Amino acid sequence: MSVFVIGYYALLLSASCLAAYFNKRSVFLLLFSLTLVSFVVGIVGGAGALKAIAIGAGMLALAAMVSYAFREFLILLASTEMAKELRTAPLTAAFGMFVIFTYAIAGIFAPIIAPYGEAEVISSAFAPADENMLLGADQLGRDMFSRLVYGTRNSVGLALTATCAAFIMGAGAGLLAATKGGWFDQFMGRFADVIMSIPSLIFALLMLSIFGPSMPVIIIAVSIIYAPRVFRLTRAVAGNVVVMDYIEAAKLRGEGTGYLIRREILPNSTAPLIAEFGLEFCFVFLLVAGLSFLGLGIQPPTADWGSMVRENATLISFGEITPLIPAAAIALLTVGVNFVVDWMLHRSSGLKE
Amino acid sequence: MGDILGLVLKRLGLGLVILLIISVIIFFMVELLPGDIAEAVLGQGATEDNLAALREQMGLNKPAIMRYLEWLSGALMFDFGSSIVTQEPVMSVIGERFLNTLFLAAYAAVIAVPFAIILGVIVALLRNSIFDRVANVLTLTSISSPEFFLGYILILYFSVKWGMFPAIANLSEGMTFWELLERTFLPALTLVLVVVAHMMRMTRAAIINLLASPYIEMARLKGVPPWKVIVRHALPNAWAPIINVVALNLAYLITGVVLVEVVFVYPGVGQALVDAVSKRDFPVVQACCLIFAATFILLNLAADVGAILTNPRLRHPK
Amino acid sequence: MAKEKEVLLKIRNLKIQGYSDETWVDIIKGVDLTLHRGEVMGLIGESGAGKSTIGAAAMGYARDGTRFSEDSSIEFDGMELTTATQAERRALRGNRIAYVAQSAAASFNPSHKIIDQHTEAPLQYRLKKRMEAQEDAMDLYERLRLPNPKEIGFRYPHQVSGGQLQRAMTAMAMACRPDLIIFDEPTTALDVTTQIEVLAAIRDIVEQFNTAALYITHDLAVVAQMADTIKVLLKGEEVEQASTEEMMSNPKEDYTKSLWAVRSFKSPQRYRPKDATPLISVRNVDAAYTAGPKILDDVSFDIYEGMTVAVVGESGSGKSTAARVITGLLPPQEGEVLFKGTPFPADYRQRNKEQLRQCQMIYQMADTALNPKVRISEIIGRPARFYSGLKGAALKARVDELLDLIELEPAQYYNRYPPELSGGQKQRIGIARALAAEPSFIICDEVTSALDQLVAEGILRLLDRLQNELNLAYMFITHDLATVRSIADEVVVMQNGKVVEQGPKDEMFKPPHHPYTDLLLSSVPEMDPNWLTTLLEERGVDNVGDSAAARIDPEDEKVVR
Repeated sequence: MSVFVIGYYALLLSASCLAAYFNKRSVFLLLFSLTLVSFVVGIVGGAGALKAIAIGAGMLALAAMVSYAFREFLILLASTEMAKELRTAPLTAAFGMFVIFTYAIAGIFAPIIAPYGEAEVISSAFAPADENMLLGADQLGRDMFSRLVYGTRNSVGLALTATCAAFIMGAGAGLLAATKGGWFDQFMGRFADVIMSIPSLIFALLMLSIFGPSMPVIIIAVSIIYAPRVFRLTRAVAGNVVVMDYIEAAKLRGEGTGYLIRREILPNSTAPLIAEFGLEFCFVFLLVAGLSFLGLGIQPPTADWGSMVRENATLISFGEITPLIPAAAIALLTVGVNFVVDWMLHRSSGLKE
Repeated sequence: MGDILGLVLKRLGLGLVILLIISVIIFFMVELLPGDIAEAVLGQGATEDNLAALREQMGLNKPAIMRYLEWLSGALMFDFGSSIVTQEPVMSVIGERFLNTLFLAAYAAVIAVPFAIILGVIVALLRNSIFDRVANVLTLTSISSPEFFLGYILILYFSVKWGMFPAIANLSEGMTFWELLERTFLPALTLVLVVVAHMMRMTRAAIINLLASPYIEMARLKGVPPWKVIVRHALPNAWAPIINVVALNLAYLITGVVLVEVVFVYPGVGQALVDAVSKRDFPVVQACCLIFAATFILLNLAADVGAILTNPRLRHPK
Repeated sequence: MAKEKEVLLKIRNLKIQGYSDETWVDIIKGVDLTLHRGEVMGLIGESGAGKSTIGAAAMGYARDGTRFSEDSSIEFDGMELTTATQAERRALRGNRIAYVAQSAAASFNPSHKIIDQHTEAPLQYRLKKRMEAQEDAMDLYERLRLPNPKEIGFRYPHQVSGGQLQRAMTAMAMACRPDLIIFDEPTTALDVTTQIEVLAAIRDIVEQFNTAALYITHDLAVVAQMADTIKVLLKGEEVEQASTEEMMSNPKEDYTKSLWAVRSFKSPQRYRPKDATPLISVRNVDAAYTAGPKILDDVSFDIYEGMTVAVVGESGSGKSTAARVITGLLPPQEGEVLFKGTPFPADYRQRNKEQLRQCQMIYQMADTALNPKVRISEIIGRPARFYSGLKGAALKARVDELLDLIELEPAQYYNRYPPELSGGQKQRIGIARALAAEPSFIICDEVTSALDQLVAEGILRLLDRLQNELNLAYMFITHDLATVRSIADEVVVMQNGKVVEQGPKDEMFKPPHHPYTDLLLSSVPEMDPNWLTTLLEERGVDNVGDSAAARIDPEDEKVVR
C-alpha cells in the first residue's frame, strides 16, 4: 500500500461523505460509484491504473474549471439577453465554446503561433520532442506542432467552406420547396432521396476518383453530398412553419415568395437551422478527415490533420502517441461543436422531457 | 391485408427505381471525365495507338447508352467487367472481399444492436439523472471521434501496450472460427463503439418521445407498474422507430467499414475501393460503389417495410 | 343526491407547485374539497384554473414537473395519499379510483384491442379471470349502449368512432367498479350531437353503480346536467361551492354571476335589402382536396353587405372548406364565387390586390395566426403599407387608429411581440390586421371557440361594434349555436358537405325545422339541470346523437324541400 493509494481512497471517501452530508445526491452517487469502480480497477491494474484514473479525473476537473471560467467571462461580455441564455448553458456547452474559440484563434493567427513553416524540414525524421520541437518531428523531419497549428487553418477552413456551400444550396432549396410546394417540392424531395441513397464516403470516393483530389473538387463533392441532408431538414423545419395561419394570411394578402421566406419563415426557423449548421459541420469535418486519412484529401505538403495521422501511423506500433495527436485534435473540435449543438437543440425543444 | 401488400410493393418498386437511377449516376459520372477513360488511365505520355487499342479493348467506341446497358445487364449477373490495372475480372478481385466485409459488419452488428437498444431503454428510463448525463457526454464523444482515432487508440492499448489482440487483421486459409473472431476483434470493437453511441441516442429519443403520449399517462393512471408500462404499452409502439434506428446504423456501418479496414489492413471491399480510387481503376470503383449503394438501399427498404408491418393502424384496417 | 353521507375524498389545503424560471411556483393555491360516496361534483373554471391538476391530484398523481407542497393533505377513504408510497398509491389507481381522459382517441394504446386494455386493470388486481372480465366488459358496453357490445371490444381503437371510444373508456374506468371516477373534460373534443349520447351514458352508469365522480369541464350547461354539487375555480383558487340548483338559481360571487351572465349579448337582427346584389355569392360549388372525396356538394349561399351570415355544422360538414373556396385557397371543381355580381378568380394567386383586399380572414387559433417573431406594429402595419402604400408618420397614425379601434392602448402595444399578449388580446390583433386592409367582407373562422367565455363575449361585442361602424359583412363559421343566436342575421346549416337549410335567424330558431337542424338545436345543452332528463324522455334514449342523425327520413317534407 503506497501513500498514493491510501490518499486516493481517503480523498474519494471523504468527498463522497461530504456530498452525502450536504444532500448532494447526484454528486454522492457519482463519487461513490467512482470509489467502487476504483476498487475493482485497483485490484486488477494496481496503483498504475489508479494513477490513470486520478489523472483523468484531474483533467476533467481542469476542463470543468476552464469551462466555468469561460462561461462567466462570456456572461460578463454579453448583452443582458444573451447573458440570460448563457447562464442556462451546461458546462459541456461552455467547454465546447471554449474549444471553438481556441481553434478559431489558432486558425486565424497560425503563422504567428507556429514556430516553423508548414513545410519546413528542420530535423531528422521522427526526431523526438526537445526544447525546439514541442511534439517532435514527423516522417520528413518537419515540426509536428507547427503543422498541427497550420492544420487548423487548412482542415477546419476546408470543412467550413464545404459546409457553407452545402448550406446555401440545401437551405435555399428547402425554403423554396416549403414555400412553393407542388411539383417543385416533390421533385426536390425525390432528388434528395436519390442522392442520400448513396453512402456519403462512397459517393465522395467516386467523385474524387474521377476528378482527382484537389481542394475545389473536395469542396464541391462534399457540398453536393451534404446539401440534400440540409435540404431535408430545412424542408421539415420550414414545413412546420408554412402550415401556420400567419403564412396563409400573408399569402392571401398577396405577398411574394421572397417576402414570405425572409420575413415570415426565416425568423421562425433560425434556431434549428443554426443547430443544424453545427451538426452538418461535424459530419463534413469527419468526412473530410476520413478522406485525408485515406490519402485522398488535401495533398501534401499542405498540413492537414487527417493526412498527418496517416503519415505517422507507423509510430503507433512503437507505442508512440504522436499520430494520435492530430486525430485527437479532430475529435476535440467535433466534440466541442456537438456539445454546443446539443445544448441548443435541448433549448429549442423546450421542456419536452 | 391488401393495403399492406400494396404499400410494401410500392415501397419495393420505389427502391428499385432509386437503385436504377443510382446505377445511371455511377456509370455516367465516369463519362464526365475530361477526355475519356483511356486517356485518364494511360496519362499524358500515351501514344495514339495505345489509346486506340485500349479503347477497342474497353469497348469505348460504342455509344455510352449501349455500354451502360451492357454494364447493367452484366452487373445483374455479378459480372462487372475486368479491372484496368490487373486485367482480372472485377468479381474475382472483390467477390471474396465483399464476404469479408459483410462478416466484419455482421460481427459488429451482432454485438452492437442488442447492447445499444437495451442501454437506450435503460437511459430513457433514467432520463435526467446523472447517469443519463454521463451517458450523453460519453456517446457524444464517441460519435465525434473519427473511426481511425478510435481504431488507433485500441491498437495502442490492446495490442501494442497490453498485447491482448493482434493489430493487423489479416486473414489466412484454415483459420478456426474462434481465431477469426479474435483476429477481427479490434476492428469490430471500433465499429461497435461508434455505432452503439448513435443507436443508443436514437433509441433513447424514440422512447422518450413515446412516453409523452396520453396513452402512457392513461396506463400509469390505470395503476400499471412502470416496467409493464414500458414493455406492454411503450415497446409495441416503438418498434417502427427502433427498426429505423437499427437500419440506419447498419447502413452507417457500411461506410464506417471503409476507414476501419484501412486502419487494420483488413482484406475487405473498402480496401479494394480505396486502392482502386488511387489507381483510377474505374470498373472496380463502379462495382464497389454499386454494391455499397445497393446494400444501403436494401437496408433502408427493410426498415420501411418493417415500419409498415408493425404499424397497428395498417395491420388492422377499418 | 348524496345518498350516503360517508366521506370518500377529503382534500385539505391542496397546494401544487410547478417548476418554471428556476423556481417553484404555486399552480394550485390551497384548495379544500370534500366528496361523499355516490356524490358527483362538478369542477368548473376557465383555462388555467387548475381543474385538471386537481383531478390528477385526487389520484395522488402529480404530473411531470409538478409536486405537492408539504402541508397539503389528500385523504382517500381514510388513506393519506401525499405520504403514501408509490406502490400504495398505484394500487388505488384503476382499482378504486379511475380516470377518463379528454381525448379517448389518444388515450387508448393503438397497439392493443379495446377489450384487452379494458381487462388490464381487473387482471392486474386479480379481481377477475380473463373470461369473466371480458364478459363483464361486454355487459358494460351494453349498458353504455354501444352498438354490437359483444364484438366492439375486439376491435382496435382506430377502428371505432370518437363518441364510441369515449364511452368505451368510461366502461374501462368502470372495470373494477371503482369508488371514484375522475372525468377530465370527457366530451369537450366531441360534436354536440355526439356529446349527448356520451353524457347520457356517463350519467346513467354513474347512477347505476352509485359511483362518486369528479366531473371536470369548462361548460356550465354540461356540468348542470351531470353534477350534484358544483365548485367554481379561478386561477388555482376556489371561488365558491354550492349544490347545483342553488348555484344555477342563486350564485353568490361576482365572478360566478359574470359566468352565468354571458351570452346575454344579442345583436339586433338585420334583414336583406330589397333588389340589392349580394356582396359575396357562392354558386353551386363542388370542391374536393386532390383526389379525395367530395367535401362540398352543390353549395350555394349569399352574403349581403353589412350583414352576418353564420355557417353552422359539425366537424367534417365542410364549413371551413367553404371559406377556403371563397378566399381562393381551394379552387372549386365546379361552380363559382361572385363578388358584387362579378366572378372572383378561382385561385387567390390570380386575384389582384384590390380583390385580395376586399376579403379578409380572422382565425380560430390566434397563436398560429400571428407570427411570434414580428412586432405588433409590423403585423398591423404591413397590410396598410401593402395595400394603401402608407409610410412613415401616416403609417404610424393608421396603426394607432387601428389599435384604438380594437380597444388596445397604442403606446403600450406598438412594440410588443404576440407571445407577450393574452389570448383575447391576440385575437384582437388578428382583427386589427384584417381591418388594416379596409375590407368589405371578413371570414371569421371559429374566432371565439378557443377563448374563455367572458373573453369570447368581449370579442363578439367588438366585432358587432365594428360591423356597425364600418359596414362590414361577416361570414361566421361556428359550431356553437349560442354564438349564432347572439350575432347572426342569417344562418346556413351544413351537414356532410351539403347545405341542409338556410334563412334568416328568427325563422331558423322556430319550428318546423329540417330534422338535422332540429337534432342540432335540441342537442345543445341548456343551463336547466333537468334539460337532459327532459330531452331523453321526449326523444327516447335511442333517438339522440349519431343514431338519430342516421335515422333522418329522406322522404321528410323538409328534407325534400
